Amino acid sequence: MAPLKSLERQYPIIDSDFQNFCASHSIFSVEDFLIHDLYELTALAEPHPTSDRLKEGITQVLGIIDNQHQPWLNGMELLEDALRNKRFLSTGFEGFDLLLRGGFREGQLTELVGPSSSGKTQCCLQAAANVSVKHMGRVVYLDTGNAFSPQRIAHFMEQISDLHFKQAKDKILQKAMSSIVCHSVFDIFAMFDLLFQLECDLRSQIDNRDYLVRLLIVDSISSLITPVLGGIGSQGRALMISAGYLLKKLAHEHNIAVLVTNHTVGGDGGFCKPALGESWKSIPHVRLMLSRNHGSSICSVSILKHPAMASGKATEFVISEF
Amino acid sequence: MKNQRRHSPITIPLKIERWVGMALEKGWIEGDESGKEMLLRVLSEWPPFLLLPPFHRLPLRVGNVVELVGPSLSAKTHILIQVAISCILPKEWNGVHYGGLGRLVMFLDLDCRFDVSCLAQLLKHRIIQANGSSSKVHSEQNDGGLWTCHAKKKSSIAYDEELFALCLRRFLYVRCYDSFEFLATLKVSKLSYFTIYIAFRLQKEREACGISVHFLMIDSIGAFHWVDRACRPLPHEGNNRKSLSLQSVSETVVQEIRKLLLVHPMVVIATKAIIIGDKNSAKEVKWKLRKLSTPDITHVDNIKSNTQHVPYYEYMPSVWQSFVTHRIAIRPTGEHCAMGENKELSVYLSEWLLPPLKFSDKFAVLGDGTVILL
Repeated sequence: MAPLKSLERQYPIIDSDFQNFCASHSIFSVEDFLIHDLYELTALAEPHPTSDRLKEGITQVLGIIDNQHQPWLNGMELLEDALRNKRFLSTGFEGFDLLLRGGFREGQLTELVGPSSSGKTQCCLQAAANVSVKHMGRVVYLDTGNAFSPQRIAHFMEQISDLHFKQAKDKILQKAMSSIVCHSVFDIFAMFDLLFQLECDLRSQIDNRDYLVRLLIVDSISSLITPVLGGIGSQGRALMISAGYLLKKLAHEHNIAVLVTNHTVGGDGGFCKPALGESWKSIPHVRLMLSRNHGSSICSVSILKHPAMASGKATEFVISEF
Repeated sequence: MKNQRRHSPITIPLKIERWVGMALEKGWIEGDESGKEMLLRVLSEWPPFLLLPPFHRLPLRVGNVVELVGPSLSAKTHILIQVAISCILPKEWNGVHYGGLGRLVMFLDLDCRFDVSCLAQLLKHRIIQANGSSSKVHSEQNDGGLWTCHAKKKSSIAYDEELFALCLRRFLYVRCYDSFEFLATLKVSKLSYFTIYIAFRLQKEREACGISVHFLMIDSIGAFHWVDRACRPLPHEGNNRKSLSLQSVSETVVQEIRKLLLVHPMVVIATKAIIIGDKNSAKEVKWKLRKLSTPDITHVDNIKSNTQHVPYYEYMPSVWQSFVTHRIAIRPTGEHCAMGENKELSVYLSEWLLPPLKFSDKFAVLGDGTVILL
């Protein structure tokens, strides 16, 4: 948060006198104000010759702090926002959509968990294809393992659009393909860079309907987080939690459905459990477990966690072959 | 003197303390009330109340700070939402008994996972349930005509929307993406409270009691633990500068909530996600050592002594711990039960840790969201 010095231009009441007073109580920034008792500070300002001006300054900082938090909303306002802006995006698989009552939800972070070759990446590619063709939305795809396959996406797209005229079909496919942007990301810091940049772009182009990102995919987030976890310090976990909150913020503020994938590790009693541990558990809105028998095209998905559904519900869907 | 008589219950212990010290100052005593009057006033103004399970064992009063601890997937947020619904529903509305408190709820969402459609659905269900039971009574009393029964039903459905909107407007929500936002929200909470109060006044709500907040909910209090722990800003201009750390954040949170409670008495309910450690003892030791070797951090309260209670690692600083007046632990038992059309319901276990009562209840969440005791 802003140092007091930088606020002087915007708020003349925060002048050098006020800054000196604050500095004498080791307050240099708005952030420092947050952890100080403002009543105490007001009392300390009392004996000063310019106490009225100092108190005015404190009130001004309180006003600045008031703008630093998200607005209070009542339930009706929340519900209106949810009904208008938080839609479901079809996954592209019928059974999967039924299970999720419509698909991936905008504003939510959905996590796909599964062992390798359980269909996680296929789900991501299918969702990307579906959103770009059917929902006319842009897709941002962060690929951490060079698993992104444009051919596969084109294949899914061809299945979705059942147009018979080759020319029209090609045009649609071309447009849909160009609305999927893939970035190769190999470490968590590169992901932070990209996400902050995306947040910036979205904020500055808030009214531009052309730039409507509907889906953000990180395949796989666990391969970015796992390397920074472990060790003595808590830095790795802090990065993990911050990444989770950044994704949730993007999802909610810009009405984007966020889809991340996670691998599994061996748990107690030989059962597979999601990687990234207990602290990550509280991050996603929805956690889904994918599994697939070797060589089979039938993929089964079960709910591990959902805000409105009991865990344990499961269904099966078919991933089409080339 | 009228102002003086409206003390909140929290200030009372403070007052008694002063009472002893200032017994000679007669004027001050005469200006006040007798113990009986005070008790009656407190009981009528802020009656202690029982909540739905798993809180049903002890009556809660304003000023209480309740902590609901449990691992992920132990229905913590769901219980919070059900309590919120009981608060925002009126006691009675157009002759139908809803049994709510008719007050406001302030919900601080630190997990940023709150789903309003979930709240709306559960609220709708509770309203329909209450309407259904009352219209049954109504038709039985009237021994009667299909027509009256039908009319009643129609009218209650028409009123639903209005009641539904009224209740939802009593639910106040803010989300915080980090500790800064959380602190900023709390810092200006009195200001926000005032703004909300004015807004409701302007809307001229029908019930006068419907504009006081009864619950402050925090879901969940330890959400930014890891981020705050890692947060060590560089020393800058003067060594005695208080830095933003786990300790100072908790201290400020407790201080600000305390200040808010002094002016606006309410019940604080906070959920806390915990990690249950019962299997891996080697891991435990490592964890403990790691915690002890970091100097600035908290007391490690390893609640392991009582084997009956669920063992978990306490990670919140002691300043928060001592602020909590009631603590309930919930966890899934791994068992399942069947209940009518609901099959495969997860069974949860709740235990009182503070005060350490011997109650432990099993409960389940039905498909429609109702929490029932088993």
